[in-house]
Amino acid sequence: MTELHTPPYVVNIGPQHPSTHGVFRLKVTLDGERIVDAEMVLGYLHRSMEKLAEERTYTQNIPFTDRMDYLAAMTGNLGYCLAAEKLAGVDVPERASYLRVIFAELQRIASHCMANGTFVNDCGAWQTPLMYMFREREKILDLFEMTCGARLTTNYMRIGGVAFDVPDEWYPAINDLMAEMPDRISEYEEMLLDNEIILARSRDIGVLTPERAINASASGPLLRGTGIAWDLRKADPYCVYDRFDFDIPVGHNGDCFDRFIVRLEEMRQSVSIIRQALQQLPGGPVSTPVPLALRPDPGEAYACIESPKGELGFYLVSDGGSAPYRWHARSPSYINLTVLKDLSVGLSLADAIVILGSLDINVGEIDR
Amino acid sequence: MEDTAVIVAFYVLAVVTLGSALMVATVRDLVHAVLFLVLSFVGVAGLYITLSADFVAVVQVLIYVGAISVLMLFAILLTPRSGRDNAPVSFAAPIGVLAGLVGAVIIFVGLKTDWAKPGGGNEFETTAAQIGEALLDPYVIPFEVASVLLVVAMLGAILLVRPGGGGEPG
Amino acid sequence: MLPLLNWYDFDPLHDLYEWIGDNTADEFVYVLAAVVGATGILSFVGLGALVNVWLERRIIGRMQVRKGPNRVGPFGLLQPVADAIKLIQKEVLQPLAADRALFNLPPILVFIPAMLTFSVFAWAPDLVYADLNVGVLFLLAISSVTSLAIFVAGWSSNNKYALLGAMRVIAMAISYEIPLVLALLAPVIFTGTMSLAGIVDFQRELDVWLAFLLPMSLLIYAISATAELNRTPADIAEAESEIVAGFHTEYSGMKFGLFYAVELINSLAVSGIVASLFFGGYSLYGLEDYIPPWIIFIGKIYFFYFGLIWLRGTWPRLRIDQLMAFAWKMLIPMALINIMVAMTEVLLWRELEWDNWVLAVFAVVNIALMVVMVGFFFRLITRSFYRLPRRVRLVHDISVPTLPAPGSAAGS
Repeated sequence: MTELHTPPYVVNIGPQHPSTHGVFRLKVTLDGERIVDAEMVLGYLHRSMEKLAEERTYTQNIPFTDRMDYLAAMTGNLGYCLAAEKLAGVDVPERASYLRVIFAELQRIASHCMANGTFVNDCGAWQTPLMYMFREREKILDLFEMTCGARLTTNYMRIGGVAFDVPDEWYPAINDLMAEMPDRISEYEEMLLDNEIILARSRDIGVLTPERAINASASGPLLRGTGIAWDLRKADPYCVYDRFDFDIPVGHNGDCFDRFIVRLEEMRQSVSIIRQALQQLPGGPVSTPVPLALRPDPGEAYACIESPKGELGFYLVSDGGSAPYRWHARSPSYINLTVLKDLSVGLSLADAIVILGSLDINVGEIDR
Repeated sequence: MEDTAVIVAFYVLAVVTLGSALMVATVRDLVHAVLFLVLSFVGVAGLYITLSADFVAVVQVLIYVGAISVLMLFAILLTPRSGRDNAPVSFAAPIGVLAGLVGAVIIFVGLKTDWAKPGGGNEFETTAAQIGEALLDPYVIPFEVASVLLVVAMLGAILLVRPGGGGEPG
Repeated sequence: MLPLLNWYDFDPLHDLYEWIGDNTADEFVYVLAAVVGATGILSFVGLGALVNVWLERRIIGRMQVRKGPNRVGPFGLLQPVADAIKLIQKEVLQPLAADRALFNLPPILVFIPAMLTFSVFAWAPDLVYADLNVGVLFLLAISSVTSLAIFVAGWSSNNKYALLGAMRVIAMAISYEIPLVLALLAPVIFTGTMSLAGIVDFQRELDVWLAFLLPMSLLIYAISATAELNRTPADIAEAESEIVAGFHTEYSGMKFGLFYAVELINSLAVSGIVASLFFGGYSLYGLEDYIPPWIIFIGKIYFFYFGLIWLRGTWPRLRIDQLMAFAWKMLIPMALINIMVAMTEVLLWRELEWDNWVLAVFAVVNIALMVVMVGFFFRLITRSFYRLPRRVRLVHDISVPTLPAPGSAAGS
């Protein structure tokens, strides 16, 4: 009996789609429900940041980093300011470093709330866990608003420190939040991790082997889900991370469920870091004065941080002028996205969406 | 004789059934043809109701409209686009005449036969119980044979779609 | 009987019919009663759709730690009206390459079975619109028309997403029809009649609800009906996060409104079937003498509708192949075993003419059997999920494995 030949069925996921986490297009060739081929088409959100940055001063480029990964603005700011400080040789006062750590970890919690919520939303729960996690995210965004006036595009870090000191009403707010946060995370774990439907949708789906992850330069929860314990906060400590004691959550299998639980546990470790930082928070100035048009010596610098999505790095080249000669961002989502095709070939369309959700990409960061 | 409502219903349903059957043969698009076939199934179900066969009517809708039309739609979707045209063919006219002749013969025979009138009263009992008892008492062997046939058909279908192709004996 | 009940009791209506029947032909009364009854059912269906929109959004909002709509009217009660007006005034888009005749048909076609389901319900002891002798089978037959209408909707849109959604729906609908029919066979065998009014009478006379006698039937029916309704956890047909809106992607305006309303009306219909067949319909252990029975019935319908909303707000959705495996490998064996057990019990009860207290024994046996079988199948399916631990491993220091050099046999 001959095989039944059916023509390949090309379906376009996106760019307008409720679930592609931005304007992201995936051309999938289907055979029934199995994916035979997946081709990514990027660039729908390209705003030519890297070119625009070449005409602005170093301080004027900080708002660009807010809008790159718009769900984790603080860490974007932090990475860029570290690179610029490395390039220009600027020191940062201790209080500023502690504040940077606190806000970066708060941003990590907020970003993971969003990532986990939308992951479960992609699995099909009609935004119920997302709304629960948004409770905490709203409180964190309130803390941001108290400090720097903005919730999403914070523009808080400056070259040489942070922009503002925290107001008085910030301390009780963050202490309350950190007191209730571990209970909330336990609540999420209780609600979600034993649910058979989530297990059925995400266990053994999109398994990434450690070799493949290292070969693809994966980073962040994608890498830690495969079982490799690599965290830039421990491997190459920046700011004052070497003064804190925290653990690295590591998965077992490299599938979507492991990435999900790694993110949940990272939220808990961030709470512990914030508590330690609040205890050790010294007084003092919050930034070293830096000229408005900073002219670093000619040279190049690369600084990378552990953003919620992975290794976020900034590469700056200076030619002595007030604007950078080359401004490049190594965005973790872009590098992590390269494994999508290998992970989803052979699985069904619904699985591809779940894998995309678990990779936690942000298209603003991919396209810049 | 039946009362007027049943006669009117009969004629309306007959027109619907025969009209949609005619459209099945003549309409251009094959998916439209299947949908007209579904309409004729529903018409036949209505005719069963005029004959007081309630169980058969509902089962007609359940099986034919619910399952067999889906089967036909799947079969159509698995054919390539070029084979889905229902255009009239060159021998449509002779076939139409032949079908008309056969229909005329059937109608003539049907009108001329001395059908046995159903004896007994006009009491209506639900036919489901009668069909059930008939299947288990006089007609139990055809019933069992039909179930075996269905099981064999299901097994055959599963064998055919197994990866690796069917066609292996046993 | 309290005097206030007479107004609810539709007695004046019966007197009106008799008066008209005495003065004119009998058929006229028949047609008039049919029209009045149809109007009543349609108004219930229409109002029910509006109320359901509000209920669903408020209840799911509450489950999601937020208020639902609360701007339009007090407590957002006019929100469904606002939604209807919005949908009516929207531009009616029709894709250029869509099949013109077939595109406009499905919204109407899918509404018909939803309405027809309500005609066989028993709202009060003698308030049935159409007391069909094959009521249960009639319900199953017309619900199979819905899947056909959804397919026509997906096919005529000329849209790959829509076709994908339509195919998924058809596959799931015909897969879940079998456990649905088998599950409903057990109450029919037990009560000996297929008419819904007869089944409610059976429960009323014996003062026992079929939910206690046949719990597994109830479970299988609830799951299969949720799948047939395309509601979470089986709502792959309109899985918004995967195929945008599935088979009704291309429908805008009131056509989409009809699809949405029909989903809600079908949920009401399924709740009505559960209430009638398994929970006694309009009877509530004698309370129906004091409260109008149809109010009790509507209360039960909304009680189970709340259950459906609860499912929607809480659970994620399953993949299509997981759903089909669940239907074929788990529900059908359970339904078949359920029928065998029910038939044995009916045989013992009727042929040996045992007393009615033996039904309590049957109930206990059936509940135990359900627990055992559900537990067995559950372990069978979820065995692979618990293979790996479901919590992370915490590591304190960096450790990167040494991989073989690239180009060697083991490297990838």
